Amino acid sequence: MQQSITTPAKTSHVADLTSVINQCYQCSKCSAGCPVAPEMDLLPHQMVRLAVLGQKERIEKSKSICLCLTCHTCGARCPNGIDVPALLDPIRHQMLQEGKPSPIPEVTVFHTAFMKTIRTFGRVHELFLIGIYKWKTKTFMADRELGMKMFSKGKIHIWPHWAKDAGKVKDLFKQSSLR
Amino acid sequence: MEFSYYPGCTLTGSAKELNDSFKMAAAKLDVTLKELPDWTCCGASSAHMVDSFLETALPARDLVKANDFGKDVVAPCAACHVRMKAAAMRLKEDAGLQKQFPFDSKIRVLSGIEMFHEPEVLAKLKERVQKPLEGLKVVPYYGCLAVRPTDVVQPDDPENPMQMDRILEATGATVLSWPYKTDCCGGSLALTITDMVLKLSQKILDMALLVEADAIVTMCPMCQANLDTRQADISKATGKNYSIPILYVTELIGMALNSGEARAWLGKHLVPADTMLSAKGLL
Repeated sequence: MQQSITTPAKTSHVADLTSVINQCYQCSKCSAGCPVAPEMDLLPHQMVRLAVLGQKERIEKSKSICLCLTCHTCGARCPNGIDVPALLDPIRHQMLQEGKPSPIPEVTVFHTAFMKTIRTFGRVHELFLIGIYKWKTKTFMADRELGMKMFSKGKIHIWPHWAKDAGKVKDLFKQSSLR
Repeated sequence: MEFSYYPGCTLTGSAKELNDSFKMAAAKLDVTLKELPDWTCCGASSAHMVDSFLETALPARDLVKANDFGKDVVAPCAACHVRMKAAAMRLKEDAGLQKQFPFDSKIRVLSGIEMFHEPEVLAKLKERVQKPLEGLKVVPYYGCLAVRPTDVVQPDDPENPMQMDRILEATGATVLSWPYKTDCCGGSLALTITDMVLKLSQKILDMALLVEADAIVTMCPMCQANLDTRQADISKATGKNYSIPILYVTELIGMALNSGEARAWLGKHLVPADTMLSAKGLL
């Protein structure tokens, strides 16, 4: 089934993206350089192929969409200038907007919690971010020792820095798909 | 020289020592940094994963402030730098966004490495080194976002960047050749897929140890955090004892310029560097 990869705000980029991924001749240089390829169920060159074939739903169900670190090694080495994260980002956006389940929920929870701290304070507050993440994933024990060490080094602050312009940042969120 | 300064969230939190050493090193080289008023988060490694408008709008707010000030803006954090530069590119192409965020592209967005590599700044560094870091063997670790995405960052060389090498050479340190300058440490998945990140970070530590580096040097706070704070976990997982200091390039610049604050910066790291540096007579 043909499905186009599109998000409303990126219409002009979508036409570019389609013409770019159509250049792929499956040399798999992207997969050879990908640091997380050993953990992936779909390799980067396979995701590009599926996107060309319009089989976006197979990418959406793959762990790879969450494992991709957006390190852009693929894009730097592709002879045809295809950057896999640039292909995956609009799919990620669409999945969130359509409420589709994340293949690795923790990753999505993390990014959503990150955005929540920005929305609340205008800046990231690490303790608030970790708190929401741990609450939502019920992983209270993981990294507890490390957290204490970082706290003792003054690397984690109890109180957030509120940006004076936090209200203006909230307004930007209202214009986005996260409203 | 004068620049707008965008510290970003991490530099006010877990990477305070980068903020402190960056400002001190800049001041000693006659660089004036003017912090953007009421700056807000650039969206870091999350906004682009979640929403295409916010990915540009968040850093665009800060770009507009820098634009108003009229000086090139410096973002020491690699992620902030990339997000701002990507936003600047998109604003150029997208008339609608440009209208909401008037940015005329007359100012440059510089990374921390680029700022210290500006000819005038690098020349002053060479001239003013008081305590050359002789005998200190380092590997420069640029990480991903100092060079990629290549169309955004436009690095000198995406596979073998040299700017940090030259800065470190100016401090008198011995810069070792190694192959993992731009490999990924695991970035933003440290909290979510920790085991995978430990493996990626271990690979980088192993190579630095193989080439007998005394320290890994970076400018990216995410790389520094992963490589520094995860060494205890990697030691536990592998049964080997990892203890290689992960330093900010600005800490070494500060030390070479004889700043008295080096101990305070280094004291923020989890893997101690003071014993190694004292043994070499550098601290």
